[in-house]
Amino acid sequence: MITRRFQELVTTIAYKKGIPNMRITFTPHPITDRPAELCRKYVAGNDPISGKPMLEQIYDSLTGKLSAEDAKSGYLKRDPRPRLLPPDTPDRLMQFFHEQNFTDGNPIILPTEKKVAEMLKATSRKPDEWVGQMRPSPPHEAWYYTVEMVAVNAVMAGVKPEYFPTILAMASKGVTSMISSTSSFGRMVVVNGPVVKEIGMNTGIGALGPFNQANSSIGRCWTLISKNLGGSGKPGETYLGSLGNPINYNNLCMPENEDNLPAGWTPLHVQKGFKKNDSVVSFFNGWSFSNIAWYSPLPIHEVIRGWLENFFSYGTRQATLVIDPIVAADIANNGYKSKEEFARYLADNTGTPGWLFWSQNRTALKQAESGVEPYASWLKRGKDVVVPVSRYKGGGRRAGSGSGFTSLGGNTATTIEIVVTGGGTNTFWAGGDFGYIGSASVDHWR
Amino acid sequence: MKIRTIGMMIAILIASFASFSGWAADEGKIVVMNPRGVQPEIRKIPMAPRQPTLDGKTVYIVDTKYAMTKPFVTELHSALQAKYPKTTWVLREKFGMYMDDDPNLWKEVKEKAAGSIVLVGH
Repeated sequence: MITRRFQELVTTIAYKKGIPNMRITFTPHPITDRPAELCRKYVAGNDPISGKPMLEQIYDSLTGKLSAEDAKSGYLKRDPRPRLLPPDTPDRLMQFFHEQNFTDGNPIILPTEKKVAEMLKATSRKPDEWVGQMRPSPPHEAWYYTVEMVAVNAVMAGVKPEYFPTILAMASKGVTSMISSTSSFGRMVVVNGPVVKEIGMNTGIGALGPFNQANSSIGRCWTLISKNLGGSGKPGETYLGSLGNPINYNNLCMPENEDNLPAGWTPLHVQKGFKKNDSVVSFFNGWSFSNIAWYSPLPIHEVIRGWLENFFSYGTRQATLVIDPIVAADIANNGYKSKEEFARYLADNTGTPGWLFWSQNRTALKQAESGVEPYASWLKRGKDVVVPVSRYKGGGRRAGSGSGFTSLGGNTATTIEIVVTGGGTNTFWAGGDFGYIGSASVDHWR
Repeated sequence: MKIRTIGMMIAILIASFASFSGWAADEGKIVVMNPRGVQPEIRKIPMAPRQPTLDGKTVYIVDTKYAMTKPFVTELHSALQAKYPKTTWVLREKFGMYMDDDPNLWKEVKEKAAGSIVLVGH
């Protein structure tokens, strides 16, 4: 059973799982957070798709005879995918690409064999070599792709051949930029190492903006790869994000400004176990991203702490800060000798807004109401008062830190990442609920 | 002269229409590459044979615990019990979050039930 809003999703998933005639009963949408009285009416009513009484349809689905087709095994048909598309004029092909959902809605470069061959010259890898597999999310099927298929999408995105090893590294990780979830995920990709200068990425003014071909097209290419090689981004079937997310256009693609890191601060890829001279792409998963242009008599590290404490979003247990080099310098001058040290300060000194804590921890609320400590004391201060529980620590431990901020099931590892980029025109920074997923070597794909 | 003028007007009309509809475009056809990846094969799974009746049988209602759908699941369970009292309707929560697999429960369903209803949100 599923709500009617997901008819397309569930029927296509059933087909791809090999049960094309799965018996499905639909309910009105949504059933989440609906009172029992309304749910009773729904159950007593009809399946909104078939129009039949819901209970009888369920019973019939469990008892009705199977057709000969339902009992058969074997393989189901798939549409053929030839290497070349039928010839047509450029205008009509462009329109065809849009209509087939091959694009992000913006014009693309048509991938002729000549352009793709030029792209392929930028790697030592063979065109027919398998690069990886990708899926819109775990319940969906994975698609597979070769070096040449990645090159086709790179051409479409406006990628220059010299960026191609970075694109292959991105594709090799098999992470889609558009998860199928209704919650409208966003992704972030950070480039580190010598490749940043080699391909002329912008680490300065407007590093996150539309001012540089490499920053723009590498980020955009992840979305085209996700759609065309990973099967993502078909609304209703492999993409259900209710609002959608503008981050999906180029996935917050940025290089780290390694030249302007404070002394003692290590670049992101080095933090993740690579050598400084390695070229690396790193991936982050999240939903929301805020640009904080704010003056305050408080030191910046305290403003960031206050923002993190009150920041609320779907991914409320993780954060990534993207800070300007002069913000990083200011934080370092205030005594934080590394990114890790600053992240630990933030995790140890941020609580959780009371309304958020008590609404998300019903068991703790019951215990507080029954006088169990420390919950009872926290609740006594008022339901809206910040609770001394950090949201930015990993799992494992339930103990207080030196600062008095505990973590429910947390440990000393933080879930805060820090990336330094930008042009130093002001002491501003940005942040969001992005968490680190993993990294891939660019050098491996040269 | 008159015929020539009419002929010119027709030619202009045809040219205008052709231009409007795109016929006049002088682009040649080109061949481009397919940007899509390779889909896996789909192995068909035969559906489980159905019982002619559920009287005297057990059916599991598997709650995948999508957020705040418990009232619906509870009402469904009650309504099925009331309408089909000769069937035993067992309400069970799946392990973990709605995305997590629960092989032990599927094994139990196969062993003990004549069928199951699996509910998902939203």
